Amino acid sequence: MTTPEAPPSAAAAEERRLHPWSWLFVLLGSLRQFLIPLLVLVVFGGRREDGVQLVAAGVAVAILALVSVWRYFTYRYRIDGDSLFIRSGVLERSLRQVPFSRIHNVELRQTLLHRLFGVAEVKLESAGGTKPEAQMRVLKLDDALALERLIRHRGPGADTAAEVDAPDAGEPLLALSTGEIVRLGLISNRGMIVVGAAFALAWQVLPDNAFRQVFDYVRREAFGYAAQLNGGWASTALALAGLVLLALVLLRAFSVLLALLRYHGFELREHGRRLTVERGLLARVRSSVSRRRIQAWTLRESLLHRLFRRRSLGIDTAGSHGGDGEQQRRDPPELAPIATPEACDALLRHLLDGVDWPPADWRPLHRHAWLRLLLGDVVFAALLAAGLGWYFGPWGLLGLLWLPWGWLLATRHARFAGYHVDATLVAVREGWWSRRWRFAEIDKLQALSLQQSPLDRRFGMASLWLDTAGATPMSVPLRVRYLPEDEARALAATLGAEVARRKLRW
Amino acid sequence: MSEADSPPQDDAPTAPPQGWQPLPPRARRLFVLGNAFGLGLLALGLLIPIGLLLRDTLLALPLALAVLVLLPGWGVWLAYRQYANTRWRLDSDGYALRRGRLWQQETFVPRSRVQHLDIQRGPIERRFDLATLVIHTAGTRHNAVSTAGLAADDAERLRDQLARWIETDDDA
Repeated sequence: MTTPEAPPSAAAAEERRLHPWSWLFVLLGSLRQFLIPLLVLVVFGGRREDGVQLVAAGVAVAILALVSVWRYFTYRYRIDGDSLFIRSGVLERSLRQVPFSRIHNVELRQTLLHRLFGVAEVKLESAGGTKPEAQMRVLKLDDALALERLIRHRGPGADTAAEVDAPDAGEPLLALSTGEIVRLGLISNRGMIVVGAAFALAWQVLPDNAFRQVFDYVRREAFGYAAQLNGGWASTALALAGLVLLALVLLRAFSVLLALLRYHGFELREHGRRLTVERGLLARVRSSVSRRRIQAWTLRESLLHRLFRRRSLGIDTAGSHGGDGEQQRRDPPELAPIATPEACDALLRHLLDGVDWPPADWRPLHRHAWLRLLLGDVVFAALLAAGLGWYFGPWGLLGLLWLPWGWLLATRHARFAGYHVDATLVAVREGWWSRRWRFAEIDKLQALSLQQSPLDRRFGMASLWLDTAGATPMSVPLRVRYLPEDEARALAATLGAEVARRKLRW
Repeated sequence: MSEADSPPQDDAPTAPPQGWQPLPPRARRLFVLGNAFGLGLLALGLLIPIGLLLRDTLLALPLALAVLVLLPGWGVWLAYRQYANTRWRLDSDGYALRRGRLWQQETFVPRSRVQHLDIQRGPIERRFDLATLVIHTAGTRHNAVSTAGLAADDAERLRDQLARWIETDDDA
């Protein structure tokens, strides 16, 4: 979308610059990649004469600052008609035209520092591509909001005139109280990421034996305390259990903390056909997506979710995923990070207009699907028993105890799993222990693929994979596994014909 | 996809149903060359661990010879099977590609979902007057459906037909 020549009526609108402080944020952004190595160098690397390295680092920072300032002076944007024009480039000049109708997601991000300066970072994403269509770092908050509003009004979701007049606050669809967010933290395993990262960092940064010393110290203390009490086997077990318990509590506490940071003040609002999500305690993020840009939906219910009687609802959008590494999206956008099943269903009924969610008739899989699922568990149990047997001798046969568990999982999964197809929607549900519902509108389906392994053929089964845009490698694929073969083929044929008939609207 | 309701037995690939097109016979050479080359490289690579680990045993020489003969041989046999089990079909709904026998996969790209098209021709394909057609969709897992070993004029005809669909759908 980068065009070298100037568009017509170029002088129609005034050109604007970013916020005068924007160079500072660009500089900080590029510095952040060097920050941790630099800190490590300064704090831990003080053994030798590091003056030369520090001077070199200083020169690098100065050059980066210069480039940032230059970039600020060369970056201009202009809103003209239904497009955003961006002129940028330090050495290589480019003019980029971004039609509003191509923008799928708008994201406003405000870190603590941004809030201090009253500015925001704006990211505009179109379908496909690994980089955002435009990343404006940074605009004055009012300008950013105005730009977002403009896209909302001129974007494709706004065909009706009524929307332009709609109140800007929008209709609230879901808001999370602090209690809910604490629940969300308890359910999620985000703490694990922090603990893992901390471990990795400690491993890298701390001097060689410090880590082991700390560990040894904790162990000695804990075990010594237990030994004082009683001594012997039971107390050691007690100490071990205590340590595990402590680790679990810490992990959950971290998760809650992270959830609070990320989801504080979560609000889902509807502006006409556009949905806006606002969240975050320190860094506020406000992302907005047109309702019809949603490519696929995922409803999840893990065991912990079930314990709290909650579910979570996520969506796929065809925006850019990952890519430039710096601020890539780690999770798919969530419409409802946590909500009661009833609230999720009501939200879905509201958003998927005309669809009766949850569907009444789920069609079952092949009647031997449980056997097919069990085969995987049999292989796993055999490997487990063999591996354990290698280490522990005959006791390894206890690994076969996986079999009854696997049998339970397979039969329950097969009983719960199913699919549903109607005029607008394809839905698949899977799992038992932790359940997921994955669905997409037929309009949003892309290629279809029917797959059969030799084992499937023996059972007379086939699996149908339905491709949608914007799915991440991590997301659950939209697929119906282990259908009777003729049913799968018939389904592929009808869906294929149906998709071919409908125009791609995204 | 009406014919797909009654799939042919794959043991008899001689009689494809109406509409399912085989690849031209000369494409078999492409498959054979590709597999023999790939697995030949693998066999050469395997010689290194054999030489390092089993150097002083009697096993080394027979094993090395076996690897050098069996792997490319298996590749050639596989190439024949792959060639025989690849079929494509173009109907009013879209483009379908069927591949494999043990692990069978049938991919269907509806006509309204074709984003853009590529024709790729490597030196060997040019030599045999063949081409690879790649159909891109906006999806994620099957975002590029690629058919290797099409006759060059078939590939171009397919591309023109599919490109016409993109145009008409855009105008509609």
